[in-house]
Amino acid sequence: MNEEEVLAYVRATARALELPLDATRARAVAQHLGRTAVLAKALEAYVLLPDIEPAEVYRPAPFPQESP
Amino acid sequence: MNSAALLRAISAGELSAVEACERAIARIAATDDKVNAFTDRTLDRARAEAAAVDQRRARGEPLPPLAGLPYAVKNLYDIRGLTTLAGSRVNRGLPPAQEDAVLVQRLQAAGAVLLGGLNMDEYAYGFTTENTHYGPTRNPHDLARTAGGSSGGSGAAVAAGQVSLALCSDTNGSIRVPSSLCGVWGLKPTFGRLSRRGTYPFVHSIDHLGPIADCVETLALAYDAMQGPDPLDPACHALRVQPAAPTLLAGVQGLRVGVLGGYFHDHASEPARAVVAQAAQLLGAREQVEWPDAALGRAAAFIVTASEGGSLHLEDLRQRAEDFEPVSVDRFIAGALQPAHWYVRAQRFRRAYRDRVNALFADWDVLLCAATPVCATLLGQEFIEVNGQRHPTRPSMGLLTQPVSFAGCPVVVAPLWPEGTQGLPLGVQIIAAPWNEHLALRAAAVLQASGVARPKESSL
Repeated sequence: MNEEEVLAYVRATARALELPLDATRARAVAQHLGRTAVLAKALEAYVLLPDIEPAEVYRPAPFPQESP
Repeated sequence: MNSAALLRAISAGELSAVEACERAIARIAATDDKVNAFTDRTLDRARAEAAAVDQRRARGEPLPPLAGLPYAVKNLYDIRGLTTLAGSRVNRGLPPAQEDAVLVQRLQAAGAVLLGGLNMDEYAYGFTTENTHYGPTRNPHDLARTAGGSSGGSGAAVAAGQVSLALCSDTNGSIRVPSSLCGVWGLKPTFGRLSRRGTYPFVHSIDHLGPIADCVETLALAYDAMQGPDPLDPACHALRVQPAAPTLLAGVQGLRVGVLGGYFHDHASEPARAVVAQAAQLLGAREQVEWPDAALGRAAAFIVTASEGGSLHLEDLRQRAEDFEPVSVDRFIAGALQPAHWYVRAQRFRRAYRDRVNALFADWDVLLCAATPVCATLLGQEFIEVNGQRHPTRPSMGLLTQPVSFAGCPVVVAPLWPEGTQGLPLGVQIIAAPWNEHLALRAAAVLQASGVARPKESSL
């Protein structure tokens, strides 16, 4: 998305969520969203097989049976 | 006197808990106009809790492990009778908490003495504690600089010698960044180790709670005192207590200690690299290790944080955005508007990421890297420069912490003091596999014993 497209996206989704934004705020929000879009694009390139489910209530590892 | 010595003195009857409490109250009165760490003071309660400790002694009862230790909590912890601000103006309209957060209850049972609530970034979304509603918290080692965030009040209160222990939260680095910038010890436990019940959330998927302290012994004692299952907290995965204090002085013999290279080296300034090299030498670490997909881990953490944070506050953002923190309100709104696909993909990535990170610990027990790319920045500073690259300050102080907390690994931050930073500290992260806090604490105790890693008294 280029800057104008991000701004248009911000305006459209804000309307969908009934979130009022004036022009100044919409531009500031678009700037942040544009930065996050770069991160999302990097993540898009990571290969995720279809059977990889989202993390549940996240557990980094099972709680150990034995104390160390 | 550090807090380990203070606890020994109280235990031996050389100092009363009331005397320790009054010293802390006097120190807060003398320094907080400059530091601005406290937003609430619970002095009547503190005096009553300290008196109760002394009464137990007078009755000949055994004292609990933290008897008489002054502490304070980030103001997203519920304190009975106070409104839980979470750094916001919006929350001022909420009723006072009817009971203490679980961890506050556990510290009270362990004999600690609560002195109040501490400043933070609004709703924990920030790394600098530049809070417009309550004023910025200032770094006790240089009042023109930030104390880090979002638990900046916690880091500053310990660094200024106001309290020996502070409770904090860490979603993307909010315990570790202030520990690094204020030069104090911090522990971010394994995700799911400590109950979060009775604290104001930021990102349900990633929020952790933990302590900052002035020495490793107190860090371990407080951590042990706060452990325990909590069936009422769906994110508390611990099924029993696994005390770390008993093995604290076991040393690092037999531990496989590595140094994180790649992403963690590339995003560290020269002073940050220097403190890691210093810690590595003391711990006998020679090999460089590559953390898998660190940049993607950070990206996914960023996306999950923005989505969940924005969604949590959406109704208030609709109704009263003007009451939010000006430096973070636009980020909250941007998060609320993110495509669902970004969020779901980040959460799916997290599962694959966990497996790759955990596999790393088949070969290593403890891994080292810097906690922040640079030392404390000036208040209001918009950009930092790391190895010729310019980054926005507020989100980028977490560059080195976010990939680690997204995996859920426990981390101790050790305070070191590199050259060329005008006397400012910079912390080293000591990272262990999930549920192995005791290993990171053992390594921390070795660094402390060397005399290299330690808090320094501020000139306040």
